Amino acid sequence: MILLQAQGVTKFYRDFCALDGVDLVVKAGEFVSIIGPNGAGKSTLINVLTGVLRPSAGTVRFKERDVTGASTVGLARLGMARSFQLVQIFPDLTVLETLQAAVVSRLGRGTRLFASLRRDREVQAGALEVAELFGLADKRHALARHLPQGDKKLLDVASAFALKPELILLDEPTSGVSTADKTTIMDILVAASRRIGLQAIIEVEHDMDIVFGYSDRIIALHQGRVLADATPAEIRADARVVDTVIGRKYRGRR
Amino acid sequence: MIPHIVNVLMSGIFHAAILFLVAAGLQVVFGVQKIFNLACGSFYALGAYVGISAVHAFLDAGGPPALFLLPLALGGLLIGAVGVVVERGLLRFVYDRDETFQLLLTFALVLMLEDAIRMTWGTAPQSTAGLYLVYGQARVLGATIPVYNLIVIAASLVIAAGIGWLLTRTTFGRIIRATADNREMAEALGVDIRRVYATVFTLGTALGTLGGALVIPATAAMSEMGIELIVEAFAVVVIGGLGSMRGAFVGALVVGVLRAVAISVYPELEMLLIYLIVIAVLVLRPRGLFGGAAV
Amino acid sequence: MGRVILVLLATGLLAVPHVASTYHATLMLPFMAYGVILLGLNLLFGYTGLVSFGHALFIGVGAYTGAVLTSELGVRSLEVILLAAAVLGAVVAAPVGALCVRYVKIYFGMLTLAFGMVFYTFLLKFYRLTGGDEGMRVLRPFLLGVDLGDMPKLDYLVGPYYYYLAGVLALATFCMWRIVHSPFGLCLRTIRDNPAKAEALGVSVTRYRWYAFVISAVYAGVGGALLGPPTGNVDPTLAYWTHSGNIVFMTLLGGFASFFGPLLGAFVFIYLQDTVMSVVPYWRLVFGAILAFIVIFAPSGLMGLFVRRRPIQVAPG
Repeated sequence: MILLQAQGVTKFYRDFCALDGVDLVVKAGEFVSIIGPNGAGKSTLINVLTGVLRPSAGTVRFKERDVTGASTVGLARLGMARSFQLVQIFPDLTVLETLQAAVVSRLGRGTRLFASLRRDREVQAGALEVAELFGLADKRHALARHLPQGDKKLLDVASAFALKPELILLDEPTSGVSTADKTTIMDILVAASRRIGLQAIIEVEHDMDIVFGYSDRIIALHQGRVLADATPAEIRADARVVDTVIGRKYRGRR
Repeated sequence: MIPHIVNVLMSGIFHAAILFLVAAGLQVVFGVQKIFNLACGSFYALGAYVGISAVHAFLDAGGPPALFLLPLALGGLLIGAVGVVVERGLLRFVYDRDETFQLLLTFALVLMLEDAIRMTWGTAPQSTAGLYLVYGQARVLGATIPVYNLIVIAASLVIAAGIGWLLTRTTFGRIIRATADNREMAEALGVDIRRVYATVFTLGTALGTLGGALVIPATAAMSEMGIELIVEAFAVVVIGGLGSMRGAFVGALVVGVLRAVAISVYPELEMLLIYLIVIAVLVLRPRGLFGGAAV
Repeated sequence: MGRVILVLLATGLLAVPHVASTYHATLMLPFMAYGVILLGLNLLFGYTGLVSFGHALFIGVGAYTGAVLTSELGVRSLEVILLAAAVLGAVVAAPVGALCVRYVKIYFGMLTLAFGMVFYTFLLKFYRLTGGDEGMRVLRPFLLGVDLGDMPKLDYLVGPYYYYLAGVLALATFCMWRIVHSPFGLCLRTIRDNPAKAEALGVSVTRYRWYAFVISAVYAGVGGALLGPPTGNVDPTLAYWTHSGNIVFMTLLGGFASFFGPLLGAFVFIYLQDTVMSVVPYWRLVFGAILAFIVIFAPSGLMGLFVRRRPIQVAPG
């Protein structure tokens, strides 16, 4: 089943073309990585797909619905969540409160003015579940601003997961994190996605080990255009991609 | 009919000339330091009171009334030095803080200056009475305009040109614009940001105090003049666009003339019309006529 | 521990008319009214991260509602007055808020300031309707249906009116406590801390800001209506921009990162102002210095000095 489909997505910033006719299809069950050199348009693409930016042209369909130009909030309600390249957290909220906020949003309880948050079993249980999934349970009362960088990233991703989305878009979830932590985060991600019934993951990633280690499909972007869209094996054999994105010296571990 | 229109227009332009000075001070500070100085109205008031005292001292010392403009303008200009004290003593502690705190600090200044003025000059309104008539009156298209007003308008135009020249033709002007554009870059290029900030703020203050001094012959100095003017100055910079000198000029004209028109047609309206325009501008085109960054 | 202190303070509040002088008891009246106002303001400021420089607009709405109802329309029931003030506060806040919450930081401050001044100008200039700069009279309201017109004014104010006010403050505090600790309150804090992330989690930032705006306006209206009876008069300065600045100051003074901070701020502000005024009329000079001190050295206010809590940060935008 096709979960997300982008057709001819173009984005102009005045005269500068950040995205030039990008086509993209993500089916249920897929882990798709988006790779490309800096400035290729990866984050712009994510921002267009998640409603942060309106495309100058082209369409985006999510679960068969036209969601071109839909708001981030609307997309979140439809089942699309995201994490951010520059980690986004709520500095003065605890880990648990952050996850509670996501669960509150998921359950549509945001307008309950007089209900007690503390006594809402579903919200509390839902938040704790995600905290445990991501190994943040013992830090759940820590303020987000006091967390080490790796945990902040985890929290950013975890709160997106707490929405129990069908599709999640991760913008460099392991950047700025030590190599040891990277695999930890990725393994947690994969395990968590199975638990919450996530149907597909789109990940912007620079680390080729992770790209080749986890992806079903790789989309290579270059100067706003799709250079290649294929399986890891095919991508590795594609000279253009190797030249512009991966680099000749990369041997890989798989 | 025509004399009446000319009267209203000239009154509006005179008010605009004063507003421009205060607004220019506000703009240059906002443009460079990104601080909206709520106390600019208070500096305006300070300049007014100091100007009056300077004139009275001058006259008491036997100075000729015809030269009253000198102590008035000088007094207004020199008291602008208080800006250095404010900047070095207070403002510099909050440059790295959230906008809200910066705004609240300038509000603290408003409170302190209001009472400082009351303490020094009392609460009774002060004025130079009819002194400005020493320059006589001119007949323009059938209307009678005090020559003093024309002098102030001319002075304001000269100052506007001077500011324009300063910003575009001098090294310091370039430094100011560079710092306004990108502070980190300017710092990296060796600009002494502290000096720039102190100078810019003092310049902004001096423009405000000068404006206050120059308005005096036309109005009396009253303790609320500061907190009343800030709302007008704020209207000017919103309409003109935050941080823009051209905006200060055009905005001042718009506010000054519209206010004069409103008063002559329907006095109740006065500032109401201005505020409604401010709201409209903020809603329809938040960056005003010449403003830069978005909301 | 916190509960014990709260009970002690509440008892103290109720005991004041009996143990303190009449003068001090009457000072508590504006404190309680501002307490209600600030509870609402801090929902907007401390919990949602929006700084309004026009909040006094709603104080004015509430105050003049009381004046119009009692002296023009012959309605003397304080319950009706408070209800009307709350409803009118909401009615005015709905469109104003809808416009203002689309903007943040300085633009929000400027828009709210402009609206506040529009109302002030209306109150001042349309004197046939509003009494102009002299304002309007507020007649002594009936409390719970009882006409206490025969009581001497002071007895009324430090007696039945005092306890009525305390009751309203208690109710307002209780409601705000529930609101702040609800799922809604949590959503507001996400918006304060990181609007982009909040949106990504499905929280509609403008809509929730609007809710907070309207609720805070209701509180301001009720508090404003309560300000009228003690002096028996309301005037346009209630809506002036410096009044808006002062209530933000009070909130900051007490500490906007804590629930009870604003109440502490209102209390200290009013008592300090009274103390200073009895010595020298230049309270603004002293208070300006205090505000400058707080902004520079103690941004978390008095509560921040007592309670070693979370560091605060007003909306990053």
